[in-house]
Amino acid sequence: MAVKKREKDLTLLEKMYIPEIVKGLSLTMKNMFKPKFTMKYPEEKFIPPASYRGRPVLVMEENGEERCVACGLCSRVCPALAIEVQAAETEREKERYPVKFEINMLRCIFCGFCEEVCPEEAIVMSKDYELAFSHREDAIYGKDKLLTPVIQLKDRIEFLRSYK
Amino acid sequence: MNIWMILLFSLVKIFIIVNVMLITVSYLVYFERRVSAWAQNRLGPNRVGWEGVLQPFADVLKLLLKEDIVPDAANKPIHTLAPIIALFVAFTTYAVIPFGPSISIFGYTVPLVVADINIGILYVLALTSLGVYAITLAGWSSGSKYSLFGGIRSSAQMISYEISMGFSVGGVLLLAGSLRPEAIVEAQQGWMWNAILQPIGFITFLVSAFAETNRLPFDLPEAEPELVGGYHTEYSSMKFAGFFLAEYANMIVASAMIVTLYLGGWRFPYLENFGLSAGWFAIISVITFFVKVAALLFFFIWVRWSLPRFRYDQLMNLGWKVMFPLSLLNIIWVAALIMIFKI
Amino acid sequence: MPKFVLDGKEIEFKPGQTIIQAAKDHGITIPHFCWHESLSVAGNCRVCLVEIEKMPKLAIACSTTAAEGMVVYTASEKALGARNAVMEFLLINHPLDCPICDEAGECKLQDYAYSHSAGESRFVEEKNHKDKRVPLGPYVMFDGDRCISCSRCIRFCDEIAKDNELTFVKRGDRVTITTFPGEELDNPYSLNVTDICPVGALTNRDFRFRARVWDMSANKTICTGCSRGCNIELWVRNNEILRITPRQNEEVNTFWMCDHGRINTFKFVNAEDRVDGPHIRKEGKLVKVEWNEALTQAASKLKKFAKNEIAFIGSAFATLEDNYLLVKFAHSLGVKNIDFIRHYIPSFADNILRREDMTPNSLGAEAVGVKPSQGGLNIDGIINGIKEKKIKAVYLIDDDIAAAFPELEEELAKLDLLIVNATNINKSASVADIVFPAATYAEKNGTFVNFQGRVQRLKPAVATVEDDRALDGLEMSRLDKFGTKFDRWAQGHKYDAKSSWKILSALSIEMGFKLKFNMAEDVFSEIAKNTKAFSGLDYDVIGELGAQSKLQPEEKIITT
Repeated sequence: MAVKKREKDLTLLEKMYIPEIVKGLSLTMKNMFKPKFTMKYPEEKFIPPASYRGRPVLVMEENGEERCVACGLCSRVCPALAIEVQAAETEREKERYPVKFEINMLRCIFCGFCEEVCPEEAIVMSKDYELAFSHREDAIYGKDKLLTPVIQLKDRIEFLRSYK
Repeated sequence: MNIWMILLFSLVKIFIIVNVMLITVSYLVYFERRVSAWAQNRLGPNRVGWEGVLQPFADVLKLLLKEDIVPDAANKPIHTLAPIIALFVAFTTYAVIPFGPSISIFGYTVPLVVADINIGILYVLALTSLGVYAITLAGWSSGSKYSLFGGIRSSAQMISYEISMGFSVGGVLLLAGSLRPEAIVEAQQGWMWNAILQPIGFITFLVSAFAETNRLPFDLPEAEPELVGGYHTEYSSMKFAGFFLAEYANMIVASAMIVTLYLGGWRFPYLENFGLSAGWFAIISVITFFVKVAALLFFFIWVRWSLPRFRYDQLMNLGWKVMFPLSLLNIIWVAALIMIFKI
Repeated sequence: MPKFVLDGKEIEFKPGQTIIQAAKDHGITIPHFCWHESLSVAGNCRVCLVEIEKMPKLAIACSTTAAEGMVVYTASEKALGARNAVMEFLLINHPLDCPICDEAGECKLQDYAYSHSAGESRFVEEKNHKDKRVPLGPYVMFDGDRCISCSRCIRFCDEIAKDNELTFVKRGDRVTITTFPGEELDNPYSLNVTDICPVGALTNRDFRFRARVWDMSANKTICTGCSRGCNIELWVRNNEILRITPRQNEEVNTFWMCDHGRINTFKFVNAEDRVDGPHIRKEGKLVKVEWNEALTQAASKLKKFAKNEIAFIGSAFATLEDNYLLVKFAHSLGVKNIDFIRHYIPSFADNILRREDMTPNSLGAEAVGVKPSQGGLNIDGIINGIKEKKIKAVYLIDDDIAAAFPELEEELAKLDLLIVNATNINKSASVADIVFPAATYAEKNGTFVNFQGRVQRLKPAVATVEDDRALDGLEMSRLDKFGTKFDRWAQGHKYDAKSSWKILSALSIEMGFKLKFNMAEDVFSEIAKNTKAFSGLDYDVIGELGAQSKLQPEEKIITT
């Protein structure tokens, strides 16, 4: 077996371990007195930046209608097959709308592909990271839970546009 | 003093020590979690009770309520026996460690040690050797390859380090001239601590103690990344808690041993010269002992969260090629000390 | 044969063939929109432009006849440049509404835009707007914006459906398609225009927005609308049939199928009134029971009747296999009264595809012996027998005798025993004593014999309780492949239904004579062994396009 040469041999001092151990110990000791990073979560909440990919949501226009035209591209691109869309005809100008739009949050991996592929800027990643359910059924988010007013998503939409 | 009184006092001491140990162990776990958090710029458990002080009770409660799972392939009697041995060894070892001077209560002179026997050190060495059985048996009886590996590693490691440990103690015994722990404490008057007189012996003993207690950087028997949980992979509920308890009890015993052998035991340097009453002398001595033990415990934890684990071959290298010769060197050093200074 | 060179490769052609046709015969597809193999050449889309040596300008491959020694380049720099330019022109007024458009995924314009176009439009002006969402007829919706004026639909109506309904109106970039005044696109073949439309301008109103193409699986099978037996594909998502499209079979239906087959032959499969599990009449009501119970009861009841009191009614809607087992079952009991119900609607027939025989398998049913044995009663005899109470027990598979003979409904209810293998709770099933759930044509393997005597294969497209999509060879869409039982889109209802032959086989075991087969294929090989007309055939020989049996083709009855 070929012996792989070390990139750097230890010096004698390092081989004696003890000085190195002291170095390591002093490092942790120093850290014990540094300010802590912990956020006391339920009282103190993390407000993510615009680049954060939280729960995907559907954009709701000011008039209360969804932007989505149920093209199904998000459902197609979703690597986890979390999205189910059922289209239907509508009298509105856009002809087509999702009569059912469900995201299985147990399947969702927050990759953001749905947002990237959406031709209508209708599904975007929100800042919502508080997802907990006690039943599988609760994890399936329908239109009622997904529709979010566009005003709340301004940050993200602006962020997306800046990269287009 | 009649035999009944001795028995009574012994029982009281045992009761106090076991309870103090148990509570200390549970708080040690809490302390370990907080210290590790601080070292990593976190806060650690701070939710249960004020600043998380009730966390140990929550942990114990949780462990008690968990399902006790015994694998099908396990040898059930031994699987049950292993944690009992572990706990037994951890607690009984403490019997010979003095934690204060003799005091007099109701006219009786009571030494602050459960069993003041003249071969205390041998007793300790014998029992700690037994400890390896707990882990080896646990590893073997679980019927799992990870456990078995953990068990095998553990026996190899403990046997290797027991040798350097024994030789290190040899230096102490040479100086004290007795196997009685009390005598060893007596021999370290003032600043004549063995740690100062024989630093090499102190270091080899300290390192061996780490290895004997399976603490990082020598926790190869449990090595999570490679062995899942090592010998306790297949343990759950209170049986797991038994091992957990034993590990921390071992830490306390090891710290108490180090304090007794090398750091002057319960002695506060030159305290007898301050002219205190016997009562105060005893109280300060006991506190001194506990402070020393606590400092060492902190050291144990501090090391765990600073150093990475050794590789198995490095561990063996260190044990046989470094620790063993060093402990021999220490004996020569001590012998030379005795020769030169005629202590 | 004369030869010409296409992209450096010498290929043969028949005199008079166009370049595009000759290339197609050799497996080379030259991009095209307006050209269709069975329609006349219009040459108006210009996307099939190719470079021909010694010709000063590019020529369209669809209307240039191939000639000896011609040297054609389909992918030369000039040809590609021209194709890109044509694509850019076509895309000028084509809206970018693929997300909404049903055609997305099977759209020629989309494909060519991907493979042949620059990717970006230089056109910054306002696009032309035309009428959207115009219902051209009962089944077809028109979107003027999307139309690229290839005229395929117009030529189809003129040449294939023989019903001039569509035309171009206006000129230039305002050109659009409409029906003649007072006319509707309501010929019996109207939905074929949605198949041949290269873009999403003409869409199926019945299927509109139901599903995306890529979410469905396409299952090759046979239409049950009439005895033509058009080759079709069933498009299934979540175990539900969503649409039917024809597939090419030169011997049977070429490229087309009629609207009746496309619209009316699949909805019962997922209808509310499907029979789900065996039912027995208890205290006047049909109650769902276990298979064992239904089978034992059917067996014990059937045994009580004399041979001449029982009648078996086969079905021209059922497969050869189903009918064969029925015949075998009847013969094992010694029953001679066997026949099936004919469904002829002379007004349905035409000279194109439709036949007056509304069943897919009457030739086959007769061929495997669904006819009275010596001294047995035929269908009319059986009906009279029921009326005269001579026939006391009837076993009916895959048909509705009560609907075919409405006067019989009350008599049927009074029968001592009526066992029905039914797909849906129809009139007969609702008066039956025992109802076995029969699998529909979309749920089983089997064979039909069309009016030409051509044996064609059915393949399951919809899973039943006993099927596993992967193991039983059903086509799988992406969703089927990756779905788990926890996914709603993978939880399409599976009916507890079995092919009639399976039910009869199970019943025969219960009765004590064993007609045991494992698969439809085994039944067919026995049929092929025992029946001269089918000798030499098996499922592999039949394949996807069918095989001719030795049966005499049914005489063509055209009444109009």
